[in-house]
Amino acid sequence: MDCLTFRRRLLEDPLDSDAALRSHESGCPTCAEFARRTRAQETRLRALLNVTPPPELTERIRLAVSFEKRPTRSHWLALAASLLLAVSIVSGTWYLSPLERRHLTLVDAVMAHVYDEASHMHQEDKVSQVQLAQLFGSFGAQLHGDLGQVNFAAECLMRKKNGIHLVMPGKMGPVTVFFMPDEIPSETMIVQDQRFHGEVMPTAWGSVAVVGELGEPLAGLAKRMADSVNWPVRVSRLDVPLAPLTPPQA
Amino acid sequence: MSDHFDALISAVSPELYRYALGLCQNPDQAEDLVQETFLRAWRSQESLRSATAARAWLYTILRNEHARLYERQRPEVRDPATLPAVPTRGYDTSTEAFVLRRALDQLELEYREPLLLQVIGGFSCKEIGKLLGLKTNTVLTRLFRARKALRDVLEPELADAGGGEV
Repeated sequence: MDCLTFRRRLLEDPLDSDAALRSHESGCPTCAEFARRTRAQETRLRALLNVTPPPELTERIRLAVSFEKRPTRSHWLALAASLLLAVSIVSGTWYLSPLERRHLTLVDAVMAHVYDEASHMHQEDKVSQVQLAQLFGSFGAQLHGDLGQVNFAAECLMRKKNGIHLVMPGKMGPVTVFFMPDEIPSETMIVQDQRFHGEVMPTAWGSVAVVGELGEPLAGLAKRMADSVNWPVRVSRLDVPLAPLTPPQA
Repeated sequence: MSDHFDALISAVSPELYRYALGLCQNPDQAEDLVQETFLRAWRSQESLRSATAARAWLYTILRNEHARLYERQRPEVRDPATLPAVPTRGYDTSTEAFVLRRALDQLELEYREPLLLQVIGGFSCKEIGKLLGLKTNTVLTRLFRARKALRDVLEPELADAGGGEV
């Protein structure tokens, strides 16, 4: 693929993850920079169009429809289930409001965050150990191992909870790592869609999520990340003894 | 009204509103368009033969309603750089959004429409082609030109690096 074709296809669909595109991008620094800026523009465009409708809109529609004569033959029962499913798949998580995002499952939130901040995956400013130590220090955590090369590091917000977002180079492309101190799943959860795969691994203090392109070897990465950090264990709600069901005897 | 139609309103009206707002750039008219779309869907549901086509069908109705609006009157288009009269949640007021919104508004409808369908509706180029009555290659060309036009406004220094003309 030549540079002209690459750029044309990227502008036709900046989220296209075709292998030929990725291959050209990884071997052409100029086009990689073009791709980074194009995806950043796409992220801004999608955010701009993500307007939440007025809350009274649905009530207004319901009221208007209620004045209409009820059709004699209804197809809506069959349509509803399939359409709702299609909407949830097609719309994905791009257009969820912050309120809706709070109710996403942790796995969905992780994947949504990867896509929302896809522009960070192509940053190549190597983050220093000092910067990483400062970032983890702001959470009261200490790095005691080498995380390896990190090209992006920042505090992030997921499901209204703060965590750390890292991007590291992988074999198939960038690998995203989230340290989420306030998310404690009961077991390791798999993350996967048409482009990415990974896992969310519980730790004593929260969880670590690792997400890379399909085919990226991620086995053991989440544990290695977790083992590289000394994170203070908080007392979670699950650790607090339940109150007695009956009032104490006088 | 059936619970099922009610559920459809909840599920699809947000994205239809975004699409309508992208077409007419007027929050009040966008609300009217979405309401009219569901009214027509309610009245005409027997014309719908396939469940899988329902979502695209709603988009088509809205698009037709928008065209009808243009036939009746040139709709009032607010300066997209200004805030809507009724504050809309999620409305970005930053300078960057100001410039992007203006650039989007300046796109001809033939370029803006496929872009909205791809970004808001998540439709494939083939689906967009069916909705707009265009060949897939034409859709691809319009998407390319739409994004290149936005880029030329937002990053004029990269105008020459956009891949050339199609």
